[in-house]
Amino acid sequence: MTHFTLRLLLTCLLILSCAPAHAGLQIDISKGGLQPLPIAIPQFLDQPGGASGGRIADVVAADLERSGLFQILERKGFLQDPASLWQQGPNFKDWRIVGAEAVVSGSVTDTGTEVTADFFLYDVYKGTPVGKGQRFSAPKKDWHMVAHRIADEIYARLTGESGYFSSRIVFVAQRGDKKWLSIMDQDGLNRVDMTEGRSLVLTPRFSPNGDNLFFLSYVSGEPRIYKWELYTGKKSLVDDYPGLNSAPSWSPDGSRMALTLNKDGNPEIYVKDLASGHLTRLTHSTGIDTSPSWSPDGRRIVFNSDRGGTPQIYTMNADGSSQTRITFEGNYNAAPSWSPRGDLIAYVKGGGGAFGIAVINPQGNQGRNLTSSWMDESPAWAPNGRVIAFTREIQGKGSRLYTIDLTGYNERAVPMDPDINASDPSWSPLLK
Amino acid sequence: MMTKRFHFLAVTLLTLGLLSACGSVPEAGPDGGQAGAASGRTGDDGRALGRADGSAGSLDGRTAGMADGKMAGEPEHRIYFALNSDEITPNSASVLTHNARWLGKRNVTIEGHCDERGTREYNLALGQKRADSVKQFLISQGVEPSRIRTVSYGKERPLVNGHSEAAWNKNRRADLVP
Repeated sequence: MTHFTLRLLLTCLLILSCAPAHAGLQIDISKGGLQPLPIAIPQFLDQPGGASGGRIADVVAADLERSGLFQILERKGFLQDPASLWQQGPNFKDWRIVGAEAVVSGSVTDTGTEVTADFFLYDVYKGTPVGKGQRFSAPKKDWHMVAHRIADEIYARLTGESGYFSSRIVFVAQRGDKKWLSIMDQDGLNRVDMTEGRSLVLTPRFSPNGDNLFFLSYVSGEPRIYKWELYTGKKSLVDDYPGLNSAPSWSPDGSRMALTLNKDGNPEIYVKDLASGHLTRLTHSTGIDTSPSWSPDGRRIVFNSDRGGTPQIYTMNADGSSQTRITFEGNYNAAPSWSPRGDLIAYVKGGGGAFGIAVINPQGNQGRNLTSSWMDESPAWAPNGRVIAFTREIQGKGSRLYTIDLTGYNERAVPMDPDINASDPSWSPLLK
Repeated sequence: MMTKRFHFLAVTLLTLGLLSACGSVPEAGPDGGQAGAASGRTGDDGRALGRADGSAGSLDGRTAGMADGKMAGEPEHRIYFALNSDEITPNSASVLTHNARWLGKRNVTIEGHCDERGTREYNLALGQKRADSVKQFLISQGVEPSRIRTVSYGKERPLVNGHSEAAWNKNRRADLVP
């Protein structure tokens, strides 16, 4: 255990309350400022006819590296080749020499239509496997997803938490004055443009099962909320009240939508039962109430209100009772998003000419600033509640998507075509 | 005086040029009409989006056209707001009073806008509040509520592209589109 509990750069920043799930090789991700775990990910061995072993190992390595929790060792120094590693198992001494604490051994079979990858994960110092060997298959065109699933499995075995690599991000892409919906893998690859950009679209939101989107479109000339069933292509208007229809948010069970309407004369938060269409009004202030986001148990809603004079974060029960202000620092706190773990709320914190992403617990305590820039906004949690995607607008230079670990370390730009501006990310659940 | 007028003209042309370069959809025509008509939606399937997809850009076109080529006696159709405020200033009130008189039996769409600072959803709500303030004022001046439609664009449709206080002051606005 001592070998593998990572050396701490900072000792006092207690972030998470997760207990290590296994003894042995284990990253303690309950602390901030970690030194990443050195891991060897050689090319996977191509079985006869196969040619994906290199690229699958590369995507696994890239996923783990981007999480900030792993240091990917250079392959050129490796002493044991992939064939020997796969056929005889690791020569642990060789892997200790190159500084690996974990090593991954994999094999890939390509058939005409499918790609299948098998892998084993080893604890180098203990000289034992970590978990069992495992196999993932997918249609050949989806080979990325095989790699993401392996990366999720390695991440889960070494951190004790589920991964987030086999997931997608939907966002608003922009070129010139055109905005359109686009979906990509969480690593920024395999982008698919979903609309053509002829009408303004905003704030796409994945449904909890990842099959549907809510989004705002001005296709009718006015902002209306549409639902898009991604796997049938069916789009439908879900909300059509006069004036503002905005800020759609799925309840965790997918049965209800929280949203903002001004049909009663002022922007207020309502909950709509999606099956019956029944609408319940939750807020009654004279200020703006918007940006609702559900707690993972579906019993609470965090939202944005300027009823106290400036935009601040509030929580309430899902029936509108017990409305409580939870932010008091700064004069612009907005766009809250409740973590899928339930323990934190991410939001936009503005002040002094800057806007950054911050987190606070649902009781309004232990607030921490994670980022700061000219304009960071729209925080969206990864499905494991560990990483936050957000929009960063750089003054005069358009916007990009970024990710940040909830410790405030490991800020990364999501790879994107340079001529595309990106904003409003929403993260899918893990893909089945 | 000449210089000043020339300057205004140049700015107007520049603004129009920018806007039309951004969203070049014809002002009139079947698509434009559909964009404005609330009845143009069905929403029963994907066709609702597909069919009307060519329309939203026309709103830019109308905004751009509005600043120019006004009839004699036609008032300025734009008022400005303070930071995070939906209050009608005395100056704006006089502009709106002229508008109310001029509108008479015309229909009008009020577009509420914000500067680029702040979050997208808050700004959508703030733009709506600005449009609603204008609507209430026009109603108080005798315009029939049924003739007024409001749309918030939040921070999506800045009037001027810039990142200074001066630009933000111009972008925090409501546009009346007769």
